[in-house]
Amino acid sequence: MAEPTTARSWTAWLLAAPAIAYLTAFTLIPVGLLLTVSFWKSGIYGTTPDFNFGNYVRALAVPLYRDQLIKTIRIALTTTAISFLISYPAALYISGLKGRLKSMLVVLLFLPFWTSFVVRTFLWLPILGRTGLINQSLIWLGLIDQPLEFLLYNEGAVLVGLVYVFTLFMTLPIYLSLDKIDPALHEAANDLGAPPLQAFWRVTLPLSRPGIVSGSIMVFLMSIGSYVTPQLLGGPSGNMYGNVIASQFLANNNWAFGGALSVILIVVVLVGLMITRRWIGTREIFLGGGA
Amino acid sequence: MNHNRLARRALGAYTIVFYIALYGPMLVLALLSFNDSDITGLPFKGWTFRWYATAFSSRALMEALVNSFGVGVLAALAGTMLALLLALAFRRQIRFQGLIFNLVLLPVIIPGIVGGIVLLIFFGYLGIPPGLYTTVLLAHINWVLPFAFLTLYPRVHAFDRALEEAAMDLGARPLQVMRRVVLPVLAPALLATVMFSFTLSFDEFVRTLFVTGFDATVPIAFWNLVVLQLAPFLPAMAMIITVISIAASLLGFVFTRNSRAADPSHRIA
Repeated sequence: MAEPTTARSWTAWLLAAPAIAYLTAFTLIPVGLLLTVSFWKSGIYGTTPDFNFGNYVRALAVPLYRDQLIKTIRIALTTTAISFLISYPAALYISGLKGRLKSMLVVLLFLPFWTSFVVRTFLWLPILGRTGLINQSLIWLGLIDQPLEFLLYNEGAVLVGLVYVFTLFMTLPIYLSLDKIDPALHEAANDLGAPPLQAFWRVTLPLSRPGIVSGSIMVFLMSIGSYVTPQLLGGPSGNMYGNVIASQFLANNNWAFGGALSVILIVVVLVGLMITRRWIGTREIFLGGGA
Repeated sequence: MNHNRLARRALGAYTIVFYIALYGPMLVLALLSFNDSDITGLPFKGWTFRWYATAFSSRALMEALVNSFGVGVLAALAGTMLALLLALAFRRQIRFQGLIFNLVLLPVIIPGIVGGIVLLIFFGYLGIPPGLYTTVLLAHINWVLPFAFLTLYPRVHAFDRALEEAAMDLGARPLQVMRRVVLPVLAPALLATVMFSFTLSFDEFVRTLFVTGFDATVPIAFWNLVVLQLAPFLPAMAMIITVISIAASLLGFVFTRNSRAADPSHRIA
């Protein structure tokens, strides 16, 4: 590579330094501090330096916390699976379109990214609630006399909320990878006599894998750290790990234990990234839909 | 062949349902914001603008709007600036580039709730009291930076170095090249990045929640009202917030069309 002779390596370092310094100060060091505090001890007089694994033992051995972790992973995986199932057919259809309709539909896929996450979670309250759209419609139709109570404040409502806000993180990367497939490949499969379904299984699906993996990681990553959705729609039975962590800091003032719970959540995410590493590098997930 | 057609039709019908599911709830919210009823929800009792009047006369919302604009503009400018410098540095292969890249991705990879918690602990031990232009702004720059970098990096990377070399051959000094050649070419991409970074900051919630003081940003103010009660003016307030976010992003999108730089698929809630 021909580099201009004036661009010396130290200039590059000088340019990189502010961002590196910033991220070191406000991400790397705080995460290091979290890790440290997670081995400390919290009591009525505050959190004091120590080195013990008690917080981790408690987090992983006490059924309340362990079950909460398992449940949260389950909810995140379910959200990812549902998002995949509902996204793929739509992405497949849009990628096969041409012209104005296609660009319009793609813009409509982007638009919700630019609206408040809190708002898009909140809107389920007047839809699923007692006086909400669904209950009032059912009453109006004469199908029920009393509003259904099970629509809100449980795990199902949390899934609805999570899928609603995160699905597009699946749809977009899948669409992007499907859109890149050379149409000649479909024709080739056709010409060679492959039935459409077989062509789909053998050509389309494997080639869209980068998008699927990339979207899955995004959706899993975001749903596992949820706080807003379970807090607003979940009620006691729809609680997730994020809410347990938050209460250690906002209510119980147990920073050491809350720290351990936070570290466990980070580890779960890192394990997820490690598992998917053989298909896609972490960098590629975030640079254009696994392209 | 017929099978293919049928499958395509079915997919098309499904896609219509998909978009209805995506936008329907938003439209219901819009409808409810005009509902002349003291109960948030149905039945629909006629059209009114009074909830918008209530929302606009809410001091909490107005102050929050001012706060969010202030923090959003500063965070977007600072984040874009830091990201631009890093992207320029990455045009050369420097040592530990992979490591630095991972450092940039770290704020995105850390689960949202934990991202708020680490800063709560960090500022707590430093003794920095929560404040709008201190802790919240610092947290927002930290959050915006990776996305600003991810949008700018491909654009800066694709920059035609022949332009720069030509300028240098003509005797321009490095800083001159930067000011006269590189920055003008990147200007649309930079503007788009600033706009997207602004919406990112404007909509940020969970990281803000744990470092916020008395001066709330818009999502925090909205949240405080939502958890209090399902007040009838909330849909109107939600619509106002939504319109502002979309307006800022569409502006960014206009710049993007000129630059193909910013890819909003990098948005994370």
